[in-house]
Parts: sequence; C-alpha cells; structure tokens
Amino acid sequence: MTSKTDEFPGTPLREADFSEGKILYRHDEMNGQYAWDTGVGIGSYLAALKTGVILGSHCRTCRKTVVPPRTVCEWCFRPMDSYVPLLDTGTVNTFSLCYVTWDVKRIKEPEIPAVIEIDGASPLHGIMHKLGEVEPDEVQIGMRVQAVWKPEEDREGSITDILYFKPIKEG
Amino acid sequence: MSLLERDPNAPDAWLGEMPITSRYTAGVAGERFFRAIKDEGKILGSPCDRCGITYVPARQFCERCMDELDETVDVGTVGEVHTFTLLFENLDGTQREEPEVVAFISLGDGGLVHKLDEIHLDDLEIGLLVEAVFKPEAERQGSILDITYFRPVPS
Repeated sequence: MTSKTDEFPGTPLREADFSEGKILYRHDEMNGQYAWDTGVGIGSYLAALKTGVILGSHCRTCRKTVVPPRTVCEWCFRPMDSYVPLLDTGTVNTFSLCYVTWDVKRIKEPEIPAVIEIDGASPLHGIMHKLGEVEPDEVQIGMRVQAVWKPEEDREGSITDILYFKPIKEG
Repeated sequence: MSLLERDPNAPDAWLGEMPITSRYTAGVAGERFFRAIKDEGKILGSPCDRCGITYVPARQFCERCMDELDETVDVGTVGEVHTFTLLFENLDGTQREEPEVVAFISLGDGGLVHKLDEIHLDDLEIGLLVEAVFKPEAERQGSILDITYFRPVPS
C-alpha cells in the first residue's frame, strides 16, 4: 500500500516553475456570461436609480418601509402596498476599510464599503455602497452621508449610478 | 404603479460576465506522460507488478491495490480501436459535411480517446490497428494534441 510513504508531502509548485516552463500546464478561460432576471421589485429599483431616485416599498400592515423594494412583505408575507421614493441621504450603519480590490490586488488607498440606512426607510434598513470624499480614519458609525450621483446622461439603471456616498457637512 | 407589474422602464435582465480562468497541471504521473509525448514521441504506461496491469495513460497509484507506481513503460504508438463514434457537428454547433471520427484506442491495459484520420469510413471497424501520428518535435507543447491523430497501420 502506501508503506513507502511515511508522510504525504505532496508536490509543491512555485510560480517560477510555470514561467520557466518546468511544469506542463493548461491555461483555460471559461465563458462566464450570465443574465440575471431583475424581477419586479429590483427592476423598478434600477429604473428609479436611472432617474436619480432611491426607491423603497411600504407595507401598511407592518408599517415597514424596506429598501431595495420587495414585492412581498418579509414580516406578514402579504404583498407590499406601494413603492416609496426615499431620500438620497442616510446614516452609516457599519463600514469597512478594504485594502484589496475585488480581484485581490493590494491597494494603498482603501475602498470603504458601508451599509447606509436610507432616510425614509424604516430604522436599520439600508443598502450597501461605497463611501467617498472622506479620509478613511474619519469614517464613523452614525455619520450622516449623501449620495453622489453620476451625471444623468451617464446613468444606466444600475447601483453604480450612485458613485458613492459622501459625508454631509455640518452647519 | 402596481407592485405586481414590471416597470416598463426597468431592464429585463442584468447582463454580466465573470472572469473565470484556470490552470490545470497533469500531476506527477501526468507530467511524465506528457513529457514523454513532447520530448520523445512515446506513449507511457504504468505497470503494476502485483496486479499485472499496465495503466495507460501513466498514473501514480494502482487503483486496485493502491500501490505507488514508480516505473513507466513505453507501450508503443500502435493501438486497437476499442470503440468509435462519428461526429457530424462541430464544437460550436455548426454542421460538418465529413464527420470527424473519435475513438477509444486501446494501449496496454488502458487507452486514449483521440481522433482518427487518413481513413475511409468503410474501413472503420472495432479491432482496427491504428498508429499515433505526432506533430513535428519543435511544435509539441506537452499536450495530448501533440498527437495529431491516429491512422490505420499501413499493411
């Protein structure tokens, strides 16, 4: 059996083994195209973003306003009653300083993803976005922020139609 | 607007593309197998003395007794058509006038799936002896496609 093998050391490879041609390998790129049906609620949300509005939806029974808009209430499972245009201001609920990009490259200036409770939605209801125009060490939970929108002609019905949220200057 | 209707201004679907790349290495025995094809134009198998089986392509462990297989043997470049199929469609779905012939070619106690060429379809039969046609050595890359195809052994 594996009596010849006291340990199981494996065969470690270094990047140089590939670049210097010591190892045979096959590089492949698979087709990763996808189409995601936005559905009724998120479709309306994206269409509203294009017009510069953050849209939520309201359940009269539960007196809840959620963002992004859902078509069914999460608490009473009944259809929501109406869409509600919300403000483009909010409060930082939580945030992170992120020193790597999505494809794992190191960066000096951190990106600052944050969950922002949107004004007009029920307390603790918000969306995830980025913060900008702020020093990383000045970001605080509870900070008041406002959306910075793309110019209207550049918007395409995407969450990136909001570039980032920036602090609202006091006074 | 009703919460049950789609907003006519909404996008139907969100389109995106995920970058997916992979790097596949053949492993310890696979490396030996492809090196032999690339550098020597040989097809290697791994004999297991205990089980009396020669695995082709070469592999590192006997799948029956789990013994480690250190040795490799040249199993030659002539094999026997074990089974075959005719492909009338290309990878992209377009139709072919002339079918491509793909066969499992027995070598040692194993074998390879590969293309057959230089063959009349009337002559094609199970048990036919076929030989590997290699690319010129300078063009070989350590891939199974370093064997361009198999063809009937000239009689």
